[in-house]
Amino acid sequence: MGVIGAPGCGVDEIWSAIAAGQSGLKPLTLFQSPRYGQIPVGEISQDLTVLGAPLRGSRSDRLAWLAARDAIRSASLNVESVADRTGVLLGSSVGGTYDTERFLTALIKQRKMLPRPTRFHECSSPVDIVADYFGLFGPSFAISTACSSGALAIATAAELIQSGQADVMLAGGTDSLSHTTWAGFHSLLLVDSQGCRPFDAARGGMSFGEGAAVLIIEAEEHARKRGAKILARLTGWGASCDAHHVTAPHPEGAGALAAMQSALRRAQLTPADIGYVNAHGTGTRDNDVAESKALKSLFGANVPPFSSTKRFFGHALAASGAIEAVVCIEALRRQQLPANPGFGQLDPAIGMSPVTETRAAKLTHVMSNSFGFGGNNAVLIFSTPETVPQTRPTFSTPAIVTSLGIIAPENATSERQIQPPLPPDSVKVHACGPLTDVATLTPNQRRRLSRITQMAILAARRSHTADPMKRLAIALGTGFGCLDEGAVFIENLVAKDEAEPMPTRFPGSVHNAPAGQIAIDLGATGLNSAPTMGEISFESALWQAMNQIANGEADEALAGGVDELNKYALTIGKRWGFWNDQTIPGEAAVIANLAGAETKKPSLARVTAVHLGRYRRPFDAKREVDWIEQAVDLGKIEMVVTGAKGWPELDAHYHAVVAELSRRAGFPLPQQTYKQDCGEFYSASAIGFSIAVELARQKQCAVLLYTLSLRGGKALCCVEP
Amino acid sequence: MAIATSELKAKIIESLNLQDITPEQIEDEAPLFGAGLGLDSIDALELVVMLEKNYGIVIKDIEEGRPAFKSVRTLADFIEARRSS
Repeated sequence: MGVIGAPGCGVDEIWSAIAAGQSGLKPLTLFQSPRYGQIPVGEISQDLTVLGAPLRGSRSDRLAWLAARDAIRSASLNVESVADRTGVLLGSSVGGTYDTERFLTALIKQRKMLPRPTRFHECSSPVDIVADYFGLFGPSFAISTACSSGALAIATAAELIQSGQADVMLAGGTDSLSHTTWAGFHSLLLVDSQGCRPFDAARGGMSFGEGAAVLIIEAEEHARKRGAKILARLTGWGASCDAHHVTAPHPEGAGALAAMQSALRRAQLTPADIGYVNAHGTGTRDNDVAESKALKSLFGANVPPFSSTKRFFGHALAASGAIEAVVCIEALRRQQLPANPGFGQLDPAIGMSPVTETRAAKLTHVMSNSFGFGGNNAVLIFSTPETVPQTRPTFSTPAIVTSLGIIAPENATSERQIQPPLPPDSVKVHACGPLTDVATLTPNQRRRLSRITQMAILAARRSHTADPMKRLAIALGTGFGCLDEGAVFIENLVAKDEAEPMPTRFPGSVHNAPAGQIAIDLGATGLNSAPTMGEISFESALWQAMNQIANGEADEALAGGVDELNKYALTIGKRWGFWNDQTIPGEAAVIANLAGAETKKPSLARVTAVHLGRYRRPFDAKREVDWIEQAVDLGKIEMVVTGAKGWPELDAHYHAVVAELSRRAGFPLPQQTYKQDCGEFYSASAIGFSIAVELARQKQCAVLLYTLSLRGGKALCCVEP
Repeated sequence: MAIATSELKAKIIESLNLQDITPEQIEDEAPLFGAGLGLDSIDALELVVMLEKNYGIVIKDIEEGRPAFKSVRTLADFIEARRSS
């Protein structure tokens, strides 16, 4: 394990603070905040460069790197020997926002365009940085579901190992402080000016923080074979969605309860087995009441000792679930219950007191809760290494695609005028036309939701009919997410120096806003995920959705991709020479409704395999086709759909792979491309998927969808009639 | 000086981006939240921003604003009380 946060860098430093009850909150120094500068915050005051972080990357990237380095060291993992079967799965919701803010400040205040800080803006950047630096080539992507991201990444990593795609995963979360999230939570009046006091009667909100944590999660057999020291066993995990409100938790904690129950089911444990709960416990009035109700519903009169460790770290958003996983594992190892600093007086609305001082206890199974915007809940259960794992039947049946909802550009291109504060410009684009069915949205959806979220909801409605009897999971891949919404928020923040904040736009700007709003629209209470990984964002979502059906956690699942044209990406891309006559920016929303293969629904096609990984440089087509051959029976593939005709530097790789596939097949495999029609954008392979489904159905043959990302990701998907 | 409720209604519509509704259609006494206009906690936060921007009234705890957000009438009274204090 590796961890960094306000109390220190490394597991021992962190635990000393917890044992001493020493809060890491202190005055803000990272940036100027005229309105809120006096409020304590969980800032990391150590110099990241002195700690050893590379100069390359955003602050979130560098925090993730530090945690990954310490995790690899402490696990004595020889990464070179396991590189092909080791992946990276990190939660991040801030990504490079802190660094992007400098770009926007220079642009708005000095009319200057700085190119550098925007290179690591995406929430997937920490995964690219860690995987590249340590040379890891297994399945890797990022999850951006606000404050549950880190816990959901750990759960998803465990599923990747279970499914056989990886032996080892670096899993966790990272988020730096940023002016955007800082001012955003202040605009929601959710920050306690005295520092957070979880579960206390006088609590007034959360405290902000930053940090990263990475766990080395390993298949047991693999760990034993290499003689690794096993710290704990991840026995249970569960995810759910409130499908209730964008920021407020369900008042009775219904989603939180469902996620805890799901984690217990997977671990095959009963509530009485749990010896400690690390609560989400943000310190907001609503969260702490809803969470305590959920705890009482689950445990009845016997709620085990629980605490929120948020006052040690501040709320480190996507990192918090991963940091608290480290706290839970240390609690097990040391047989200690961590304290809940900030608590002094019992709240009658809660009626329970958390652990007030770190103290010894006999612990075998502990639970960690993480909840986020969009009603997104993730729960992990860790057990001592001596516990015997319960085996659970695993399914390997393929999923069927029952319908597709598509909002895509017309074939023709148009000119998009760039708006201020960017300098006037015009860029050729593939744009979706006006949303024809936007009038079918509710008045609240029309007045409040940004265009990308409306696109996602409309595409979802075209593919799925709400059915309260069915458990529905959602995984929606996106590259830039709601960047338009986020940019408006930051432009306003910078231009007005924190005056007149935008409380609607802030929660609307997170990557999981479209997925969360679809859940509210369709009443989907299953997993709700927003994976992001450059050009393989859609396949990452497809894998997660398929896996929910394979695990029996959902009856149906929506897998999709959504991205929209954004003036910043257009302008910066043009300045850098990305956009030209071949590479034209585009946008779309595509959502596929998946069901188990045994259901009797009429299907368009079957998805028989989805595999993720990273390619080595220099690109070696033979090695890549070897990788494809391990996942699918090449003999039956009759067509290949690729992401060629987008980024020119990837075209040669695609052509080389298709040539090698044809050589092994003994006949020339036709290659179908899609970017000439829909344009280039991160989740464009969702359009490729819709074409693969259509080809498989019409030509009654197996189709391979093969996608590469500029920054090293690769994905394959096999679609059959 | 009393606040004209028609002016306040226009500001509410603008700050909340309310669709298909004119100031005349909002009654002074009708509840803003829940059943009334169907507003929720995020809208309350937008009203906080609107009060600061237009009337210089700063609300730091949403509980403080809750009684004022019942209707246009209570909001107008609240603004008046705050401005004269």
